[in-house]
Parts: sequence; C-alpha cells; structure tokens
Amino acid sequence: MRNLMQQPFRTAVLVLVWGWLLFLVLTPNLLVVGASLMTRDPATFISLPLTLDAYRQLLNPLYLDVFLNSLYMAAMTTLICLLVGYPFAWALSKVGKRHQVLLIFLLVVPFWTNSLVRTYALKLILATNGLLNNGLMALGWIDEPVQLLYTEFAVIIGLVYLLLPFMILPLYSVFEDLREDLLRASHDLGAGRLATFVHVIVPLTLPGVLAGVMLVLLPAMGLFFVPDILGGSRNLLVGNVIKNQFLDARNWPFGAAASIMLTLAMALLMFAHKLSKRRIGEDGV
Amino acid sequence: MKRLVLAGVLALGLSGCSSEEPQVLNLYNWSEYMPQEVLDRFTDETGIQVVYTTYDSNEAMYARLKLLDDSAAYDLAVPSTYYVSKMSNEGLLMAVDPSKIEGFDSVDPELVNLPVDPENKYSVPYLWGTTGIAVDTADVEGDVTAWADLWDERFQGRLMMTNDMREVFHVALRVLGYSGNSTNPEEIEAAYNKLTELMLSVRTFNSDAPRMPYLEGETDVGMIWNGEAVMGREALPALEYVYPEEGTIVWLDSFVIPKNAKNPDAAHQFISFVLRPEIAALISEDIGYATPVVPARELLDEEVANDRASYPTPEDMVNAEFQTDIGDEALQVYAKYWEMLKSGQ
Amino acid sequence: MNRWLPRTYLTLVYLLLYIPIAVLVVFSFNDSRTGYEWGGLSLRWYEALFNNRAMVRAMWNSLWLALSAATVSTLIGALTALALHRYRFRGKNVLNGMLFVVMMSPEIVLAISLLAVFLLVGLQLGYVSLLLAHVTFCLPFVVITVMARLSGFDERLPEAARDLGANDFTMTRTVLIPVIMPALLAGWLLGFTLSLDDVVVSTFVSGPSYEILPLRIYSMVRVGLKPEVNALGTLLLAFSLVMLILSQWILLRSKR
Repeated sequence: MRNLMQQPFRTAVLVLVWGWLLFLVLTPNLLVVGASLMTRDPATFISLPLTLDAYRQLLNPLYLDVFLNSLYMAAMTTLICLLVGYPFAWALSKVGKRHQVLLIFLLVVPFWTNSLVRTYALKLILATNGLLNNGLMALGWIDEPVQLLYTEFAVIIGLVYLLLPFMILPLYSVFEDLREDLLRASHDLGAGRLATFVHVIVPLTLPGVLAGVMLVLLPAMGLFFVPDILGGSRNLLVGNVIKNQFLDARNWPFGAAASIMLTLAMALLMFAHKLSKRRIGEDGV
Repeated sequence: MKRLVLAGVLALGLSGCSSEEPQVLNLYNWSEYMPQEVLDRFTDETGIQVVYTTYDSNEAMYARLKLLDDSAAYDLAVPSTYYVSKMSNEGLLMAVDPSKIEGFDSVDPELVNLPVDPENKYSVPYLWGTTGIAVDTADVEGDVTAWADLWDERFQGRLMMTNDMREVFHVALRVLGYSGNSTNPEEIEAAYNKLTELMLSVRTFNSDAPRMPYLEGETDVGMIWNGEAVMGREALPALEYVYPEEGTIVWLDSFVIPKNAKNPDAAHQFISFVLRPEIAALISEDIGYATPVVPARELLDEEVANDRASYPTPEDMVNAEFQTDIGDEALQVYAKYWEMLKSGQ
Repeated sequence: MNRWLPRTYLTLVYLLLYIPIAVLVVFSFNDSRTGYEWGGLSLRWYEALFNNRAMVRAMWNSLWLALSAATVSTLIGALTALALHRYRFRGKNVLNGMLFVVMMSPEIVLAISLLAVFLLVGLQLGYVSLLLAHVTFCLPFVVITVMARLSGFDERLPEAARDLGANDFTMTRTVLIPVIMPALLAGWLLGFTLSLDDVVVSTFVSGPSYEILPLRIYSMVRVGLKPEVNALGTLLLAFSLVMLILSQWILLRSKR
C-alpha cells in the first residue's frame, strides 16, 4: 500500500525532470555535437559532409593560451569570491534569524541592476578621471592618477562584482544549518578555535564551498562582455572566441567544437579534483 | 493569478494574430536609434502601431533573420553598409517597391546606387556616418592628420581602437596603400603585421561607446564614430574629430524589408514617412548622426548643419571608402589574424 | 568582540557592494550626459525615462519574466535535486552530466541551439520561448544549491517519517521542504538575478512581441548608454528596498 502511494509522486517527479532535460538540454546539445561535425557553409552556416576539420583547427596552440588565460581569470575570481564570501556567509549565519532573510535580499538587490549599467558605474570609479583617482589625489595620497581601468585588476574586480552572490548564497544555505551544539561539543572536547574550524566547520560546510566554486568558476569561464569593457578587450577569452566564431567569422562547426571541448576540459578538471580528494581521504560531494 | 492568465492569453494570442486587429509594423533596429516622437507621429497619422525590438550587432541581427527565415516576424530592419548586399545576395530581403516610396529622389545622390545595392532595389538609406580619428587636443601636441600618425611612439598606451575587426584592418590596409576591402591574403597579412606594431600602443578596444575612453582620460587619440565625437564634445570640448588623409571609413545604415515580412505595405509607408524632410531633420538632431535626406539639412539647427564632424565637406571625403562584403574566404583570413592579434601572437 | 567582528565585516562588504550603486544613483540626478563631470542637479533623465515607453515596458516584461523563470526553475530544480538525492534510478550520471553541460555552455551556443529546437517544434518566439530558455539555464544553479544543502542532511529523519507511516509526498512536504527552505530561497534569488540580466540567450529566443530590458540596454550601441538607464536603475533599487522593508515590517508585526 505504501509503495503504491509513493509511486505516483516519484514517477511524476522523474517524468517532469527527465522530460525537461531531454527536450531542452539533450536535444539542443545533440544539435551542437552534430554541428561540430559538419562542414562550414557560408550560405547555410553548416552543411554535409561530416568532417573532423573543426576539431583539427582547435589543435592550434593559440587556443590553449586562450583557455589557460580564461582559466586563470576565472580561478582568481573564484578564489577572491571564496575569500570574501566564506566569512561573509559565516557572519551572516550568526545574525539573528529574524534579520537573515532581509540581509540576504539586501545582498542580491545590487545585482538586479543591469550588469552593463553597473559596469559603467565601476568605470566611473576606476577611470583616470574617475572618483577613486580624484579622491586619492585630493587627499594628497597620490600625485598622479594610477592606472586601474583596462588592467587585469579591473577585470577581476568586475568579475567578482558580477559573481559574488553565486558564491555566498550556496554557502549561506549550508552555514544556516551549522548547529551551535556541534561547535560547543567540539569546544567541550577541548578543541581550540583553529581545531574546531579545521575539523568541524570546514568539513560541514565543504558541500557549500564546492557548490559555490562551481557556480562561480564555470560561468566565469564563459563571460566576456564585462571583462571586455573593463579590460579593454585586448585579450581573448574563451567566451570571445566562441562568440566571434558564431557571429563574426560564421564558422559554426568550429564554434560548436570549441564549446564541446571547453565543456570536456572543465569536466575533466572537476573529475581530477574529485579523484585527488578521494585519494587523500576527504570524501567530497 | 491575474498576471498568469494575462501571460497565458498573451502567449495564445501570439499564435493567432488576425487582420482584424490594429495594424502592426515590426521594426528591428539598434536601441534608441529612432526617436519615440517619430513612432508616435507615425501611429497618429496612419493608425499603425510600431513594435520596436532591438539588436546589439549586425552579426546577431543577420544570424537571427537567417535562422528565422520562414517565420520571420520583422517588417523592417536596419543593417549597416555591406550587410545589405550580403543579405540580398542570400535572398533574405524583399525588393523595395519604388512606386510605394515617396521622397526617394530627395536622398543624397552620393548615398544611393552604392556598390552594396547598385540600384537601391533592396534598401533605402536611413542615417550615415564616418569612422575617423579623435584627438584630445588638450593632451596632444602637434597635428594628427592621418591614420599613419596613430603609429607614432608618443601615443604608446594612449590609443583607442574600435572593437571591430573590419574597421581596425581597414585602417592598417589604408596606411599600407591598399583598399580597406582587400580580399588578398598577402595584403591582409601585411596589415596584420602592421597592426602588431600598433598593439603596444592600444589601451583599449571599444565599440560600445567609443567616446567614453577619451572622457575617462584613459586615451588621447584613436578611432571614433563621428556621432560619438559630437556627443563626446559636449563633455570634453577639446575632443576634435579628424578626417584622416588616407580616407575615412564611411558607413550607411539602411532600411530593408525582410523576405517574409508580414506587413510590407506598412514598411513602405514608414520608410516614406522617415524620408519627409521635417521627420528626417528631427531624427538627425535627436540621434546625432547625419541624414541622407538633402532638404532636411536646411531645416537643421545652423550649428548642427555646419558641424564638419556630422556633415563633412567634399574635401573631407576624398579617399573615403565604404565597406563592402568581402566574401566568406577572405572573412576567414581576417578572423584568423584578428584572433592572433588579440591573443598577442 | 565575538559579536562585533562579524557585524563589522558584514557592513564593510555591504558598503563595497553598494558603492557603485550609490554612484549610479547620484549620477542619475546629474544634468550632464556623461558621468565624468557634474552638470548640476536635474530630473531630466527621469523625465526622459517616463517618456521612453518602450524602455518602461521592457522593464516590466523583464521583471515578470525573471519572477516566473525563477519560480519555475526553483520548483523543477528542487524536485530534480530531491530526485537525485533520494531516488535510485538509472541514468543519474547522465542527468548530472546534462546539468553540468548547461552550466558550461557558452551563452551563444545555448542561445543558438535552443533557438534551433524552438524552430524545429514550431514554437512562436516570445514569452514562452524566453521562459523555457531562462528556466533551463537557471536550473543547474538551483539544483547545485539545493544538493549542497541536502548533502549535510540527517538521513534518519526521512526514514523516521516513513516508519511513522508518511508517504513520499507527505514526507517531502513535511520533512524535506522545511530543511531545504534556505536553499530554495538562495536558488530562487540566483535564478531571479540570472534571468534579469541575461542578454545573449534572450537576443536569440525572443520575438517582437516580448522585448526585455537587457536587450534594450545592450543594444544602445549606436548612441552609447543613455543616462536614463541610471534613472531606471535607481527606481528599481528604490522599489526593491521599499518592498523589502515593507515585507520585513509586516513579518515582524505578524510575529508579535
């Protein structure tokens, strides 16, 4: 009887989830894989015969550089988001329950302003004629403007400012669950602050850290609009290359192949991380 | 709940638009590139509602119109220069019916029958402009008169280029004495080599608002569109617009009617409306780019009409060159070198 | 010290987050067209905004789309996470893999491939196609957030509920949902934020009947970003803050 009751719910959930993913994820991605194996055609974008040309083109070391450059930017962004976000989520969990939801909303409200508009506001601050340089000069701390805009620094600031909530929100959802009694128990058993942190808090919040890292690192790899505006678009990022191939150069098979290889490379990276974790005995997610 | 129902009705309604409803003209254009007042006056006069949707690049507009081919929902689009020939060659456009267009004879003869559309079978000019040199005369000593001057060492780190592959290569090709529309791989490679020297000087590429790096104080000299130069001067009077000796890059945004437009009659009506001198003048003053409608220039503010940045003299246009469609093969060569240039190889 | 250190830190981060927004607010009252000079106090951009009907309409469209996309993706995402967490079924890795692919796909690839699918099935481009696309790219964010919460969850609770005779649906409603509530909130906010800001995917899957704000803003290429968007940002911010304070006030009153 109990089994009969729970079957419909389970079935409904699975049908909905699978249906959605098959229609809106699997089908489009099969098309992408198909496109990557076709021949570039100026009249129809793609046409037969099937070929591996697009993948061969990817062997150019230029694209490895682009990939590594993007990975570096994304990793730096993730690291800074984690360093800022982890203590933030922790501090947030210590605030009374009553105000937590309000504070969470206050955290995301700035992100509801269009990213382009916010980027222009950042430019107003960082530019040579900008507020920061003018302010520092008025204070007499610097004699001439410091170059901030159109540097790597500006790009990373921009990326952090775009992605910070994607680190904090998953972290918040695990910190919220961190039970005071566990911390007290650890303390009562004679563990110091550091030991409690390393042996109790970090393992308990690790799922949130991993989720946050994924939510920041992966999207950061593909972003290009905002980094272009703040960085002067002198460097190619993965997102630029793929978008240019689709729109400017109109080489769809190559764009599709590049996207597939990017996904595979990142999957491999995540997988390698998981393996290394297992070897040292920390059980990741 | 009410809104949910509303959305549902909206979704259903879309599939079943009938001719009984008020007529609609679907205009596909850059954002803020047509004053609301013009749309309102058109609706008041004809009863046709204008639905104005936007795109952020010719490339995106082209890709969409091409993909949507059979279910095209747009009646009017505004591609730049060579996209007209590209789209008409690929059969994406409907021929414009000259008998339904009023006021075409008042369009500047310099801007009709261009190579991109020899008899204006598919397009009617809307606004036009040039890409030239911007100089912040407060920070730059001496004259800058030619594209070649951008290679001057004193501009190291103070240079701005548009973030547009064709335009950047155009500059280098002209400096080397070639056509900006070269399809010769050797010439393109030479241009690439020339540009690698320039990369050290480039502070930023920008095609979102090319006036901004000058106002930010980040760059002193470089490329700019004339309309942006005019806007930039409001805040930075020292910003000067220079027509380079090797020739400026001219571009023209034109109205075209996509092949499967649902309401081509309204499209023709709208084009005629925009060609009226008083409307064309209103648009030119509001947007800041030049109108091809000759009688409209008389109606313009003296200051605007005499502004060389917006309305160049014939001497300014010596050596000026329109961009043309370079074909797929050459495009791949450009794209390859552009990637190499950007990735510093 | 134990109480003040976290609060000081929170305040500091909030300050940093709101500085650019404050700049935007201040310059929305600037009479000059560009932000690098102060042209005096003025409401001209607000006036321009109110006359810019297309932009205001696009804003409402965007808000409505983000609201519905966030809600639907939270619903489906939460169910997906629960299914992944609780049920044994074939193809779990395939499911996980598909979510990973969505997160990793560059926007332009997602945009064109989704458009191709919509064209294949003959779906009219507009609100519905936008909703389907937005829910799809928000989905992995919700699933990952909820999964992170579930992984720290005490497995014995649902067991106990079952032993007490609760069926799967009841157990989910009474035990699991309350547990994942913070993650649902987090996931919803992520979805709302993502949807409100998407431009590349929307460029391709929207139609003339439903234009959204980011498209209009990113398409201001020919004339550059207009100061009206600062005014719009300011109004949106003010509206969000007022709603927040109001809801908090109601919440506190009802609790008393």
